[in-house]
Amino acid sequence: MSLLSAFGRRRHLDDTAFSELWSATAVGGVATVAATDAEHLESCAACRARYDAFTDWLADARGDAIAAADEVFPAERLAAQQSQIMRRLEALERPARVIAFPKFAQPVATTRSGPQRWIAAAAAAGLIVGLGAGELLDFRRTPRVHQALAEAKPVSPAAGGSVQPVSLNSDDALLYDANPSPRVEALQALDAITPRVLDLEQSR
Amino acid sequence: MTGAHAAGVAPREADSASASAVKAMQAEGRLPEARERYADLVARHQRRASRIAFHYLRDGAEADEAVQDAFVKAYTHLSSFREELPFEVWFTRILINGCLDRIKARTRRERWLVSAPEPAPGQSDFTDRVAGNGPSPEDQVLARERRQKLASALSRLPDRQRSVFMLSHYEGCTSREVSVLTGLNESTVRVHLFRAIRRLRTLLTDDGSARQATITGGKRRVLT
Repeated sequence: MSLLSAFGRRRHLDDTAFSELWSATAVGGVATVAATDAEHLESCAACRARYDAFTDWLADARGDAIAAADEVFPAERLAAQQSQIMRRLEALERPARVIAFPKFAQPVATTRSGPQRWIAAAAAAGLIVGLGAGELLDFRRTPRVHQALAEAKPVSPAAGGSVQPVSLNSDDALLYDANPSPRVEALQALDAITPRVLDLEQSR
Repeated sequence: MTGAHAAGVAPREADSASASAVKAMQAEGRLPEARERYADLVARHQRRASRIAFHYLRDGAEADEAVQDAFVKAYTHLSSFREELPFEVWFTRILINGCLDRIKARTRRERWLVSAPEPAPGQSDFTDRVAGNGPSPEDQVLARERRQKLASALSRLPDRQRSVFMLSHYEGCTSREVSVLTGLNESTVRVHLFRAIRRLRTLLTDDGSARQATITGGKRRVLT
């Protein structure tokens, strides 16, 4: 007996070894289990009993899983499932039905006569010409209307004379405005207590 | 499949012969006959297919739909069936792919929707539970609890380990069959099966021992 096998015989098998043993034997194919484990299992009664308990546990798990599935799928449900499958297969083989919409149940003539087509074309052309002419007329009339409105506009006496055109070419022009008085009456008091940029520069 | 249930060689050959016959009938345009013959195949594989779908999806209605879709798809694609592969394996592959697609779709859906809690599978009315000749309510509760624990432990396994475990242990597939069904190498199948069992054992034993410790300690504790 080799030293390795002697060691193997002394050591009891654990769940990992059982899992390896069981999976190797359950699915078939080439067994890859360590020979020492298999030998130990054959010779050790305690490990054999534990392995039996392990396989029982797996068998119970299988039984439980199958029972759970069968509980959900009783015979009646399976029968209904089968008839549903057959219905679906039958429906696959039938050609698709096209249900006509009531309004178009009668065949609709798609061809148009020659005069109808000419009438439609003339109407479209008339519409385009009308829109163009309308735009042109509006363009010629607009300046006159604006001019008439300007002439008719009354000048309010309160604002008369005090309104001056403001040029805002740049921020500097606004800062160095020659006319220091504000144009809004309500701001004149505030303006009086505010120092001006020009005054500040002169004082430097 | 075979494996544990080794008695299935003749039915398998019969299934493949039936599938080939249906295929020939479809090609010849004898569709009603093809459907009738296919109904036998459906009847033979329906229960097993429903189990597999339920183990994957954990939902009766969805498993039902998945099985129906798989049978319809197998029928419409029967022209691509080759006799070198058993019909059972070919069909199961279609079914599993359908289940995996549904799981993916469900995962996407659940990112956005929170579903209402559903009753446990098989839970029936109070009257059904009380007045019956079956197992006692206590046994039913214990069995249900055990199944829920197993399902919960299974759901904690990685996808491949779960698939390999369910196919090889529940359905009795050999490593070669699982390899064909999952597209994994045969040795990889064995490794996944070994790891799945070891992990399941750890999960269920830890849960059981923790629960036992709680009961013997006489105190209610929250188990983490």
